Amino acid sequence: MTVTTAWVLWLLSGMVFILSTRNPLYLLITILMFYWLGLKFEKERKGGQWIKLNLRFMLTIVGLSGLINMLFAHTGKTVLFDLPNGWPLIGGAVTLESIVYGAINGLVIGALYLLFNIFNKALSVKQITRLIPRAFHPIATMVTISLTFFPSIQQRIREIREAQLIRGNPMKKVADWLPILIPLLVSSLEDAFLLSESMTSRGFHTHSIRKYSSLYLVLLIISAFAVFAGWIFGLYDYPKLLSIGLYILAALVVIIIFVVSGRGNPSKSYKQEAWHLGDKIASMSFSLALMTTLALLFMDNGPTFSYSPYPVIAFPQLHWTGIVLSLIPGIPLLIQKND
Amino acid sequence: MKRNLSGIFTNLIIFVLGFLSLAAPFVLPQARNSGAHNASFPIMISLIIGLCLIIVFYEIQISIIDNKMIAFLGVLIAINAAIRFLENAIPGPAGFSPTFFLIILIGYTFGGRMGFLMGAMTMFVSALITGGVGPWLPGQMITAGWVGQSSVLVKWIVRSFNWSDKPGEVVLLSVFGAVWGLLYGAIMNLWFWPFLGAASGQSWLQNAGFLENVGRYSTYYLATSLVWDIARSVGNVLTLAFLTRPVIKVFHRFKIRFSFQVSGEKS
Amino acid sequence: MINLTDLSFSYPGSTSPVLHEVNLHIPPGTLTLVTGASGSGKSTFLRCLNGLVPHFTGGQISGSITVGEVDPITSGPETMATRVGFVFQEPEAQFVFDVVEDEIAFSLENAGLARDEIDSRISSICKFLHLNSIRTKPIHQISGGEKQRVAVASALVNHPQVLVLDEPTSQLDPHSANELLRYVVSLKEKLGLTVLLAEHRLERLLPFTDLMIHLQSDGQCLIGPPEEILQELDLVPPIITVARRLHIKPLPLSIETFPRIVIPETMVPTLEKKDWKPQTSDGGLDVQNFSVTLEKSLVIDHISFKLNPGEIIALLGPNGVGKTTLLRAMMGLIPFEGNLVLKGQPIKENTLSMMIQAVGYLPQNPNDLLFAETVLDELEVTLQNHGLEKSHTELVQFLTHFGLPNHQDDYPRDLSVGERQRTALASITVHDPDFILLDEPTRGLDYENKARLVQLFQKWRDQNKGILVVTHDVEFAALLADRVIILEQGKVRFSGNPQEAFHHFPGYRTQTAQIFPDSPWITPEDLPFR
Repeated sequence: MTVTTAWVLWLLSGMVFILSTRNPLYLLITILMFYWLGLKFEKERKGGQWIKLNLRFMLTIVGLSGLINMLFAHTGKTVLFDLPNGWPLIGGAVTLESIVYGAINGLVIGALYLLFNIFNKALSVKQITRLIPRAFHPIATMVTISLTFFPSIQQRIREIREAQLIRGNPMKKVADWLPILIPLLVSSLEDAFLLSESMTSRGFHTHSIRKYSSLYLVLLIISAFAVFAGWIFGLYDYPKLLSIGLYILAALVVIIIFVVSGRGNPSKSYKQEAWHLGDKIASMSFSLALMTTLALLFMDNGPTFSYSPYPVIAFPQLHWTGIVLSLIPGIPLLIQKND
Repeated sequence: MKRNLSGIFTNLIIFVLGFLSLAAPFVLPQARNSGAHNASFPIMISLIIGLCLIIVFYEIQISIIDNKMIAFLGVLIAINAAIRFLENAIPGPAGFSPTFFLIILIGYTFGGRMGFLMGAMTMFVSALITGGVGPWLPGQMITAGWVGQSSVLVKWIVRSFNWSDKPGEVVLLSVFGAVWGLLYGAIMNLWFWPFLGAASGQSWLQNAGFLENVGRYSTYYLATSLVWDIARSVGNVLTLAFLTRPVIKVFHRFKIRFSFQVSGEKS
Repeated sequence: MINLTDLSFSYPGSTSPVLHEVNLHIPPGTLTLVTGASGSGKSTFLRCLNGLVPHFTGGQISGSITVGEVDPITSGPETMATRVGFVFQEPEAQFVFDVVEDEIAFSLENAGLARDEIDSRISSICKFLHLNSIRTKPIHQISGGEKQRVAVASALVNHPQVLVLDEPTSQLDPHSANELLRYVVSLKEKLGLTVLLAEHRLERLLPFTDLMIHLQSDGQCLIGPPEEILQELDLVPPIITVARRLHIKPLPLSIETFPRIVIPETMVPTLEKKDWKPQTSDGGLDVQNFSVTLEKSLVIDHISFKLNPGEIIALLGPNGVGKTTLLRAMMGLIPFEGNLVLKGQPIKENTLSMMIQAVGYLPQNPNDLLFAETVLDELEVTLQNHGLEKSHTELVQFLTHFGLPNHQDDYPRDLSVGERQRTALASITVHDPDFILLDEPTRGLDYENKARLVQLFQKWRDQNKGILVVTHDVEFAALLADRVIILEQGKVRFSGNPQEAFHHFPGYRTQTAQIFPDSPWITPEDLPFR
């Protein structure tokens, strides 16, 4: 699976699912998918290293979260031991439930971390840069320039450092970095001037967003407030439709503004990515999963993915929808073989 | 004039939105315990930060951006990213990365918008280079952007007291860097907090008051990031104290050459 | 094709005009060579052609200019992008993208062309310039010559009528430079371009030049066929100097067109070059059986040589053979195998700290050294690093050797290219080192600054310093070297007499040697006739 859009959908569906559940079993299934994918992406020998590294990270974060919650929250019925009540904030009963709850939070964070880790592996820097909407072409160009100059700047730092070392620079204090920083800044900025001449000589210009720009700006700001308002309304017993309506309205406004503003800018890439059958099927699955998760979140009577160890710890329940959704992030594993 | 107004207006809006999002976990008591609301906090906050970023970028694009600035900042951001990941890093306290002094000095010399771009895009480009794009990125971007943007305040003070080219300038910038060293960590933790499910109302007492949540947060902050943040503050002070003068001189020489509000250019 | 009428221009804030009432006409399909001392306005003139001046630089412009039937002053650079292609001097600094075909596509995307059109244009230009083998490669991994070819491709892909190149070969080694120029000439023929080139090394282009423009410091210009203009200039390539001495008219523009000269045997060449004798003193820098491995490949393979005091060694070799690596290893910056003996003392451990005291090192880019507020401060920094002290008057006196006596309070970055290099040289020799190592010091220098450098070298030799200079510039080496070492594939291919080196090794022959292949002469100074 190579197409950028497919991976973006993978990311979104994965992220929404992970954040919507506190059921440790679902989370574990998804995390397993991630480790498997990670192995696929790493080269043969490094695979073991990668797993070890990320396993260690996962255990650390789960342990840490469990610990923090254990110390701060004192609800739950299964008391393990007591900390003196006099101690501020952490005083009180230490319960099994609070440890488990904290550990589950750690699982969520770890899963999110792995999710993005795989995403970074799957897509090249160029592909990620191309995700920047056309309306932001000037800023996207800035990012591209930074990425292009990065290797030569690293090289230049080495050269300047060596030249100054030979001149006798002891390189001990912060001020000793001035002989490296200043020549670096000056020569790089001179290059930047030359670059801007080169860009201008080849017809690059940025004056395309002009006409209704202030209006668009105000609309964007209003959209942001709409989303914020929708969220707040959703938290306080206002009708759900109000929130959803505000979200959709804001989304439409933003998308329209992007499209209209983007028209003045050159198309980002003359090369289009080739969609294989696997990419298409995968993208459809991810979109479906995303919509299902969102729908289930907003419904009151459907199967829920939440789980709570409180007040007394019990084994989490499983529902087939949850199992399917937690397996969805593993779809790229199937496609890799077909490619 | 109009440009300045739109800039100031946008910044205020973003600041308000950002502040509200940050404060939400403290201020909003949970009405329900269901799973939906556990999910909503991190997603919504990331979304709102994302929208704030979009708004600021949009405003910058319609106001001051041009070819020279794109090249100028593009190269500077690459430098900042390279400095951040230098192997033999600038000698400093553990865990210190000298990313902020350039961000602060750019904002100080060239204004709030450029400072914001410098901060936000340094984080973005660094994330791209290291393969570290993650859910914390919008938070990093906007906070680093604020570091650069707020440097304008220092400029305002220096102008009012006529401290340019005097020791007071460097001292003030160093203090500013120290403050942001701690503040950056504090704000980053706030963005991260919802991901811990901290606002779910389950790990905290229901109906916990604002003050009590602040108390919990402070302890959490102390436990996790204070050490790093102190290191960052000290590092900021050191770099700003020693490097400000020469770097500002370089920037001034190039400011004239790049003259961002070009009169000779056709529009 | 190109017409300038009374064109004058001065930069913002400057009272003296860079161009003063320039009048000229350039016919279509010609190759015009633009020369002039550094800072004389070559770059400014070239930038007038595509509107960068005055739109990008600001300033006062008067008079008129037309390129094709378009006026760049009113049209601006964005419009001129499809009519004038521009290639800049720095291979490192012209690229937005890091992939060859993306960079070439950049121009076309800006013009808003359709995908198919973009694809076909990229394919055809890559074919012309033989870029297909590196088409998808990252730009930071290709060579300098390849980078400039990509720049030419990016400039030409919009199908302009005019191609302007501002010192495109100054950062390239001779082989890549000649290759690039050959491509430019052949593209000019194939596409019927009008080409304008600014260059210092005139000899590379003279055979292909139709017109020559020389910009003077007062803002005026001379224009005419190269044979005429070359007669007027003071500083010219060796082939022209020799032709003038022999009173050959019209001036020949290449070795091939140089009339064959028969030297009567009675003319005893008056050579005063020192014969190289192996020195046995202990005062030198002795490189013994040196090997350097970089990233698992053997770059330097068991090299031995000795640098004696009062001796100049020129180190030559193809691009990328490892000359800079050798210097870095000698300084102790990277590990090496073998021995390094400094003034009789082996320094395998703490090579760097021992070498720092005894050596002055000029890196390929001397600007890497300059960071202080004033020229004098640069000297102070080095002195401080070595724990030495010199008085103000001593330092000013020291600066006169470098032709910088009135510049002690100047900001180094504001100086001209040559002055900056000499500031760097002053700052690395102020601690009176016994040896001086230089990496490509003639890169990008015009004839005048090169002449000054020659004088400096001679002064150092008189002070009994040992000098090792890595260079591609055979003419420069021929003027100065007591001994020549040629490196190839990591080994010493030749070590000995300059006369032998510059006569018998193809690729290293000086112009004088090519004109007089049966003589020991390698520079115009060697000629017995004035």
